[in-house]
Amino acid sequence: MSAADARAERRTDPYADARDWGRVRFLHRLNPLAKIAGPLPAMIVLIFSHGIPVPSSFLLLAVALLVVGAHLGGRALLGLFVLLPVAMAVLTVSFALWTDASRVSDTELLFQVGDYRFHAGALAVGAATALRLAGILTLSLVAGLTTTGPDLVRALVQQLRVPYRLGYTALAAYRFVPRFGHELDVIRQAHRVRGMAHGRGPIAAARRHLGYVVPLLAGGIRHAERVSLAMDSRAFGAHATRTERHLVPFRARDWVFVGAFWAASAVILVVAAALGGA
Amino acid sequence: MTEPTPLIEVEDARIRHLGSPAATPDGVTLTVSPGEVVLVLGPSGCGKSTLALALNGLVPHAVAATLEGEVRVAGVPTTETTVAALSAHVAMVFQDPDAQIVTGTVLDEVCFGPENLQLPVDEVLARAERALRQVGLWERRAENPDRLSGGGRQRLAIACALALGSGVIVLDEPTANLDPRGIDEVYAVLSALVRERDHAIVLVEHDLDAAMGLVDRVLVLDRHGRPIAEGPAGTVLRSRAQELLELGVWLPTATLAGLRMRAAGIPLPELPLTPAELTAALDALDTAGAAPPSSPTSRSSTSPSPTSPSRPAPTSGTTPPSRSPTPSDAPPPTLPEASARDGAAPAVRVRGLRVAKSRTSILHGIDLEVGRGDFLAVVGTNGAGKTTLLQAIAGVVPPPKGTVDVLGLDPSRADVRTLARTVGFVFQNPEHQFIRATVAEELAHGLELQSAADSSLNAPAIADRVNRMLDRFGLAGLRDAHPFLLSGGQKRRLSVGTALIAGAPVLVLDEPTFGQDRARAAELLGILSALNAEGTTVIVATHDLQLVADHASHVLVLTGGAVAAHGTTGAILGSDALESAGLRAPALVRALRATADPRWHGVTGLDGLEAAVRMPGPAHPEPGGARG
Repeated sequence: MSAADARAERRTDPYADARDWGRVRFLHRLNPLAKIAGPLPAMIVLIFSHGIPVPSSFLLLAVALLVVGAHLGGRALLGLFVLLPVAMAVLTVSFALWTDASRVSDTELLFQVGDYRFHAGALAVGAATALRLAGILTLSLVAGLTTTGPDLVRALVQQLRVPYRLGYTALAAYRFVPRFGHELDVIRQAHRVRGMAHGRGPIAAARRHLGYVVPLLAGGIRHAERVSLAMDSRAFGAHATRTERHLVPFRARDWVFVGAFWAASAVILVVAAALGGA
Repeated sequence: MTEPTPLIEVEDARIRHLGSPAATPDGVTLTVSPGEVVLVLGPSGCGKSTLALALNGLVPHAVAATLEGEVRVAGVPTTETTVAALSAHVAMVFQDPDAQIVTGTVLDEVCFGPENLQLPVDEVLARAERALRQVGLWERRAENPDRLSGGGRQRLAIACALALGSGVIVLDEPTANLDPRGIDEVYAVLSALVRERDHAIVLVEHDLDAAMGLVDRVLVLDRHGRPIAEGPAGTVLRSRAQELLELGVWLPTATLAGLRMRAAGIPLPELPLTPAELTAALDALDTAGAAPPSSPTSRSSTSPSPTSPSRPAPTSGTTPPSRSPTPSDAPPPTLPEASARDGAAPAVRVRGLRVAKSRTSILHGIDLEVGRGDFLAVVGTNGAGKTTLLQAIAGVVPPPKGTVDVLGLDPSRADVRTLARTVGFVFQNPEHQFIRATVAEELAHGLELQSAADSSLNAPAIADRVNRMLDRFGLAGLRDAHPFLLSGGQKRRLSVGTALIAGAPVLVLDEPTFGQDRARAAELLGILSALNAEGTTVIVATHDLQLVADHASHVLVLTGGAVAAHGTTGAILGSDALESAGLRAPALVRALRATADPRWHGVTGLDGLEAAVRMPGPAHPEPGGARG
């Protein structure tokens, strides 16, 4: 296996151990729950916010946090600095086109096609909506890009007292996904060579997909049964708790992060309100 | 160790699965003492695996079945405790390595059990390290288990069992899903465990060639799950070999060879159980004063046996009743195709076939010709490109245009209907290809597709052909059953039937024996050999090299997406092509090659063995002179 393959493998490996990228990339060292709890109020505010200053401030805050505190791979950088701006531009224009012209008729008229008038104000409304969406997305990436699935489950079990049977079963079930994907491919091939591919249109397609369900379910249930027998055989559920080798503690720095994030959120809102009110 | 307390006591256990009329196993009594290795043998469906599940309480706690009698682990009846509590005494290793992995790294996986037992972290890690070192995976502890080979994942499962610290390890067909290299890896680990004698091992296994060297005691169940023999492995197998064979129990190849030789008139003082014993027995034979036999040429490749199906008795119990004359009693049929093979156009011609999947090249430039009526086995390690080659030939994944020709048809251009008439493909898992609600409809499906173009194929004609196919594969009583409700062997027969019913003269099968027990594998091979004898060209990808030796006329060895060797079975098995491709010659070939007398060296299959026994002919006195 070449180094490139190994890299690709690691990137797609949902179980790869959380790596420590040093003191500066501090987000990787925080408890997953802190990284969710910190941005959560801001995300709720963004759902209901208006105007441009509030969402753009939160967007900048989230991006700044990610750039400084997270180790970003090529894909993440591409997404954050190329795809996200492009998507925001597209959203801005789309939302602007849909905006009711009478609501923004007091702003400068940019162009007019027949009865349709496009005002600069519509662009502002579109931009506000796009910024809100982008803000919520980047805030969720603060945890999303710096947390592994197993760590999140461990934190849920250790801090939120989610029953471990639930958490670890979910993790085990996660392994089914690629397996089912592969199995579906094979079933598709098999049905195609057996002549199930005939017929076009949505009804034929629906019938075809219905045909995949039975073998996929049969295989899936059998696999799940085997996995559960294997887990039972290894004392899963023997006691109310289990030994945790990987502790995901909630430390002082996690409290500091949450507190600081909430404080920053409050400052942004207060300043924006003051400026908006002025 | 002479007077140990039993770890497991099974007393008159009868286990009946929900909805099943009879109990299998039925009345089994067994004790397992520290350090001993017990092998459970029996034909398919006798309840071996069910018995294994009862040893750690999965039956009746987690599996819908009733248990009569009693199973005691460390003196406690399994019904009075939980599977989780029992896991500290009895650990399990199952057949499918993929279905046993729950975490994301090798180390986490091994720690999973001890963590569930609430052991302190130091102890968890100490046990994990010890277990991983025992199976040789400590260096790979940080990796995702998905990146291990099949054999590696099964060794991981053994490490997980070791880490539980239990006195007994129960292994249920641990090598059935592995390639030969994986089987070797698993048995290397098990041999080391047996040498230490720290654990008792209960083994349910069909591959006795590998297992025989480790086993102390065997328990044999008959078809109804009743115990018919129990005792030291050597004694039971040697004294009752013929009986076990008739029961449908798969014997070690060396023992089968011994039985054949006795039948051919060679009085072996003791039946061999392992390849090494067979070698010794043959050497003893030769030093007993035989005249040096005339040096044979590669017999298997020159004899007509390649086209003659040969399978010893174990198939008899499970073969479909319609296949009445077992091919081994019939004289090898001389096929027109076989004799005219060199002149006729090949059935399959592959030219410069290159296939890449997601930018990784899988096949780079395959050239291949398969003669009409050939039985070609495609062998190679995992990832050598066997499945990809077969899928390209059968048009399952259309190959590049002009690279594959099947009887004048290019699978990349053919429509489904024409393709189905020319080449039938049988998937590894038969369930994947079932698309109709009853067995009869499933068979009729291919013909219904053809009937759109062929007006002579009306409803009565289709029904007639379906009925004949049902009879042929012993499925007549199940014509209205749902395909998914058939047994494993029945599903496999149905999938072969559906591939054949449109009259395809070429049949391609991807790992048809993978994950199946020996009896089912033998049954399927019997069917394929019979079809082949009738002129069907058969192409099979397989890991089972003894099957290759006994059935295939030709062998194609793939390594890294290229043809490493291609020739008659005798020529390939006689060369070192398998070894250089990372495979291992089948047990019989290895045993025979190790003999001092070169007359055995060219023999590859059991039939060839008989021929070699007869080889010296009347002019050469045979030791013991008991022939004829």
